[in-house]
Amino acid sequence: MPGANAYLQGTYDGASSGENGEFKFRTSKTGQQTLLVEFMGYEPFSLKVELKGDTIRLNVKLKEAFNELNAVTITAGTFEASDKKQAVTITPIDMVTTAGAVGDVYGALQSLPGTTVNGESGRLFVKGGDSEESQTYIDGSLVSVPYNSSAPNLATRGRFNPFMFKGTIFSTGGYSAEYGQALSSVLLLNTNDMPVEDQLDLSVLSVGAEVAGTKLWKNGAVTGTLSYNNLAPYMSLTPQNYDWGKYPESVTGAVSVRQKTSKTGMFKFYSNFDNGSFTLSQQNPDAGGTPTDYKLDNGNQFVNASWNDKLGEKWAVSTATSFTNNTDDIQFEQTTVAEQIQGTHLKSVFSYPFSEKFILKMGGELFSKKFSQNVQMPNEKHDNSFTNNTFAGFTEAQIYASTKFVTRVGGRVEYSDYLNSFTVSPRFSAAYKITDKSQFSAAYGWFYQNPVDDYLLYTDLLKPERADHYTFSFQSSVNSRTIRVELYYKDYKDLVKFTGGEFYLPTSYNNSGKGYAKGLDLFWRDKKTIKNGDYWISYSYLDTKRDYRNFPEEAIPTFASKHNFSMVYKHWFGNLRSLAGANFRYSSPRVFNDPNSPVFNGEKMLAYRSLDLSWSFLYRQHVIIYGAVTNVLDFKNEFGQRYSNNPDANGNFQGTAIQPGSNQFYVLGCFITLTRKGNANQLDKIE
Amino acid sequence: MKKIILSLAVVLVSLVSMAQKPEYYQAMGESLGQYATCQSVADFQALGNKFQMIAAAEKSEWLPLYYHAQCYILMSFMEQDVTKKDGYLDVAEKSVTSLLEMVPAESEVSVLQAFYLVGRLVVNPMERGQEYSGLSGQALGKALALDATNPRAQLLQLQMDMGSAQYTGQDPKSFCPKAKELLANWDNFKPKSPIHPNWGKDQAEVVVKGCE
Repeated sequence: MPGANAYLQGTYDGASSGENGEFKFRTSKTGQQTLLVEFMGYEPFSLKVELKGDTIRLNVKLKEAFNELNAVTITAGTFEASDKKQAVTITPIDMVTTAGAVGDVYGALQSLPGTTVNGESGRLFVKGGDSEESQTYIDGSLVSVPYNSSAPNLATRGRFNPFMFKGTIFSTGGYSAEYGQALSSVLLLNTNDMPVEDQLDLSVLSVGAEVAGTKLWKNGAVTGTLSYNNLAPYMSLTPQNYDWGKYPESVTGAVSVRQKTSKTGMFKFYSNFDNGSFTLSQQNPDAGGTPTDYKLDNGNQFVNASWNDKLGEKWAVSTATSFTNNTDDIQFEQTTVAEQIQGTHLKSVFSYPFSEKFILKMGGELFSKKFSQNVQMPNEKHDNSFTNNTFAGFTEAQIYASTKFVTRVGGRVEYSDYLNSFTVSPRFSAAYKITDKSQFSAAYGWFYQNPVDDYLLYTDLLKPERADHYTFSFQSSVNSRTIRVELYYKDYKDLVKFTGGEFYLPTSYNNSGKGYAKGLDLFWRDKKTIKNGDYWISYSYLDTKRDYRNFPEEAIPTFASKHNFSMVYKHWFGNLRSLAGANFRYSSPRVFNDPNSPVFNGEKMLAYRSLDLSWSFLYRQHVIIYGAVTNVLDFKNEFGQRYSNNPDANGNFQGTAIQPGSNQFYVLGCFITLTRKGNANQLDKIE
Repeated sequence: MKKIILSLAVVLVSLVSMAQKPEYYQAMGESLGQYATCQSVADFQALGNKFQMIAAAEKSEWLPLYYHAQCYILMSFMEQDVTKKDGYLDVAEKSVTSLLEMVPAESEVSVLQAFYLVGRLVVNPMERGQEYSGLSGQALGKALALDATNPRAQLLQLQMDMGSAQYTGQDPKSFCPKAKELLANWDNFKPKSPIHPNWGKDQAEVVVKGCE
């Protein structure tokens, strides 16, 4: 081992080992001395030697030091984005610069394997799971309503700006016992730490404008953001597939506070409000295809606070809480619907390292949700609501046998007071490093989630739904090239079935549904081969069927497509100071149900294809100009048909095609960051 | 007059301390002399090892740690294998952190911290650019606030300004008058002792040459 440092403690006598690992040095010291041999990444070696003037020969073997950062990590099912780890697959900046995402966190994730693009939804669909099976957490606490409110069959976006986050973990299965109430995936978003300087950010886009200001003080900072979006100018200039009585408009404001509470502690607070509205006119198959207005007013308030610190030398604690209040007021035809979700999440996690190689984590959490729905029709009125408190406790041990082998064993218990149900979920995962650059990883666990709100409104006789995950993955990263292969199997049990009968009767629902999903996910990323270029390719094969909700039999669900392909390319043009991006996505045809056909979910929609481009130009150090186009080649995308609820005189259900809001989307924007740069009189920054 | 008294005092103090720790000054002097002959990552590692040994023997002195960190930062710049760069910087970070605790008001330490942060930045400019340019700018701001005459702080600031000018369409040559002034005044800054940081003049010369 060349370059190791050998010396007598407290003296100036020593030497570095040469190319063959040998070292020798002379000393004038005598008597008892301590010889130290040190090398980065290895445990220091020390030996008492008795110096009597003659030559001492020694054979020193250094033991590799255990370091969690260099040790194997469990990658089964997980895409982690942080810039500290070597084997990252995607990074936070990718979230922002992926073409086609147009600044949407969820849009960017849909270029990763395991996801299926559902153009009429925009939400995440992971490994044969429905969108409700995925949960989003910010700084450890749940986001009850992560997406903007939207009309049926119209794509939505996430509520949060990707620039807020410094790190992301997207787990598509087999996740830790720390996470519950999600059958398919969890997305963990971590907000930025302390900003470096006071700044003012201005952005003007073709669809709106935003201003954000950051002010620092001793060990703390506050950021205030205000944005206004109005699609009226944009939508009136570009071709749209639907008529809008009122173009989407929204006002959003947010305040975020960060405060260091000690040398190791950090408190974060984030609060935002969001008010949006639109009136959309869609063809109504029940009214002979005449346009019908769908009017929506949404109000959303979200508060999130978290605190992380060390208690004493070893204990680490993180506590997080969030509160969501979301109201939707909807009007269509003669019906008005008022819905309100009030969600509270409280969570505390404690971890204690018994040694570097054995870390125990435990914690508890409470999910509280109140959902109320008020429906008014000319001759009917329904008022329903429920409150469900789910209490959970979990514990998990992470055990390293060496830097090469790690296992994580844990369990989780949950109790829902509304359903009066108690569940126990074991979780197990392990990873083994075959070489420095490659590793195998496996995960197994039971996952429970309360049935969707629409059912809980009418019944408390249900149990949580369940999915068992089996995930096996291989990952290898060599020289800025990464390959991942993942095989998985998911066994769905206790899914809620609608058994016929009146929808408002509790007895019309039971837990007899079931299903499976299995597939293969491939991921290849290469930042090396093309100079200044970086690309990744994702492919997912998915085979899934389920019998749930109103399915008459086991069938492929409409949100699943067998083959999903995505290729993302980014290129830095230094002389143009520009980052260009392209993203091609393909999803094989999904199924939909035609009530005129005897086969359930027997029809196939068009395959989804889209080529998206984006361009960011660094005009000045603090000015970025950004432009993006989706579906430049104008592929025709259609998401099946929407059918009338009642048959016409000939006994046929009339259908109308479900199209995207527009075939293409263009965005142009300018981002300006103003800072007070000056070095002379910033003495207050000196600690 | 004041200046003369001050520099006399500095010389006196350093002579006194030299007299107290002849072994330390000799070891430091010898090691510093080896900087000129270092040409590879391995050379700098061997030199860094020496400074580490001295640091372990002289726990109250900050200079050995300073040079130890500097060796590892230079190693990360010289290393071709991207995955190793961060490893060297992890070693440097430890020494920089100790230095900031030992001598928080030392301008040279803040310069070194900025230099270390630039090292982190160049590992992956695309992803780290924004964060680390801000952090290193902050460290440099502190260095200049502590001692506005520190030529190494001025040099690094100049190099960063010129570097970012390239990306932002400004003319880097607009900083040339500043560079010339810095070089002309370089020798006016007197290090507190022969073993205090005194590097950077050759780099300033390179910058000025690039202006012509």
